Amino acid sequence: MKKKIITRRDFLKDSASFALAGSLMTQLPVKMLAEEGRKSRVVLIRHQDVLDKDQKLQEEIVSEMLDQAVTTLTGASDVKKAWKQLINPTDIVGIKSNIWHYLPTPPALESAIVSGVRSAGVVEKNIGIDDRGILRNPIFKNATALINVRPLRTHYWSGVGTLLKNYIMFVEKPSDYHDDTCADLAKIWKLPHIEGKTRLNILVMFTPLFHSIGPHAFNAQYTWAYRGLLVGLDPVAVDATGLRILLARRQEYFQEERPLAPPAKHIYLADSRHHLGTADPAKIDLIKLGWQDGALI
Amino acid sequence: MNYLSFLNKLLIASAVILILTLFMNLQGQPEMNQPHPDMQRLLHDLTVENWELFEENYYNRDNLFDYINGGAELYLSYGFQGLITRLYQRGEQPDIIVDVFDMGTSPNAYGIFSHSCEQLSNEIGQGSQYTMGLLQFWKNRYYVSILASPETDESKETIFKIARVIEKRIETEGALPTILDYLPKEKLLPASIRYFKHHAWQNTYYFITAENIFNITSNTEAVLAKYQDLGILMLIEYPREEDASVAQDNFIRYFAPEDPIKKVVRIEDGTWTGERLSGNLLIIVFDAPEEAAVHELLNAIE
Repeated sequence: MKKKIITRRDFLKDSASFALAGSLMTQLPVKMLAEEGRKSRVVLIRHQDVLDKDQKLQEEIVSEMLDQAVTTLTGASDVKKAWKQLINPTDIVGIKSNIWHYLPTPPALESAIVSGVRSAGVVEKNIGIDDRGILRNPIFKNATALINVRPLRTHYWSGVGTLLKNYIMFVEKPSDYHDDTCADLAKIWKLPHIEGKTRLNILVMFTPLFHSIGPHAFNAQYTWAYRGLLVGLDPVAVDATGLRILLARRQEYFQEERPLAPPAKHIYLADSRHHLGTADPAKIDLIKLGWQDGALI
Repeated sequence: MNYLSFLNKLLIASAVILILTLFMNLQGQPEMNQPHPDMQRLLHDLTVENWELFEENYYNRDNLFDYINGGAELYLSYGFQGLITRLYQRGEQPDIIVDVFDMGTSPNAYGIFSHSCEQLSNEIGQGSQYTMGLLQFWKNRYYVSILASPETDESKETIFKIARVIEKRIETEGALPTILDYLPKEKLLPASIRYFKHHAWQNTYYFITAENIFNITSNTEAVLAKYQDLGILMLIEYPREEDASVAQDNFIRYFAPEDPIKKVVRIEDGTWTGERLSGNLLIIVFDAPEEAAVHELLNAIE
């Protein structure tokens, strides 16, 4: 099938059909599409004090934020009921974390997730946290439920490191999914050992990395204290929301258009090509909780 | 010669060939898995005052993914050949990571340096940049990154000391990509120059398209540069004029279908874009504030 080419001019002149791609690949304003069908709920929760003056995470606040986000996401009356909606007591739960040295999934958040899963009745021996070793980890091999959690950051090849990309460690040879700047990462989510198992997606937005330089891609100058978490059931909706925040930060910091190079097209294609979820803001029910200053969305 | 005797001789001959083949492969292997001696010399006996060498590793094109995972694609797209990385440690101070990349040619080393250049300095090598604990520079075929995060006064001072030693050991300078010679100097923002050989980087300043409509490959030379009050200039040099002509047709098709003759148009956001073909060189201007700016840049190139 011949690949459809979408250019900047398509984004600008077409008010509907290319609006979605335009809002994900540039800092062009989001044009809301006609509402249709059920929306994907995404909870953005932020807390001004989750980082202290030395940028150290406050564990109790992290835990409170997660509880509040999960409760709102599920619409449950309390946090325990919320976790029970997501996880069954008999589940074997793999928490897919991210150990990238400069911006790992914070251990405080991992602990808060484990507490939540425990509160749903899962015994400790049936809960595992891992990243690079998941293919050999017995918990992940036998997992009946997955929780996906990682920080948002720019990435040299996929444009941005996302929840979608976090599952690349579920394949033996990750570079098999690097073609066309990681365009088809969503395929991984349809593999038999993964499909249908993900119960919760958490994009960590405490100090996202919005620009990469050097071989290690990290520089503290290009992180900012956003102090938030994005939580949802639909990984595409959560990633798309995170990406819009990150693009807005790039615009704010550089004071000019600075698209991601390469563009994070894997998010757009996860929706339009692979139908894994929605990246369309008109189909995302974004609920903003907590601190609102500088939300950028 | 009976059949069994023949079979014995055949088996012996096969075994000899097999052993010789294995031996030759083993002989070749260290060369594959060890850095080029020129590169080794850059870090040979390099001691860092108060910091202790904790480990040293070497990576080639086959295993760079083990070190920088997805980021490896960026370096491979610039012709990466080998990397020596060293980790220095000192008590409570941040680790210092020294990465020396052999990019094969000086244009490639320049290209990878230019990829993330924000503030250009000539303090180290043929171009350098220091940003909060990260020093990057290039000289000849080498791109060097020295990182200590978070930054401290001591680590910053040490980073520069290491850089000066390595810079000195790279005895000669290398040539810049020849396509840079075409860039007009007037109103050029030097830190904005991006030299590349993969279409992934065409959108660095301005989203054009996520696809490779200009057929940028390892056989083409491409450069992006920003010009004060004029816009963004993109030059692509192709192996053949026919290749450039195909790319020109794609520009017209996707960006200037309403004026295929003049090839300078005002697009929907009010900015101007246009192109000119000069032999095997395609010259494109994006994001110009007015039509005259497009012509000024297009005509500034000989």
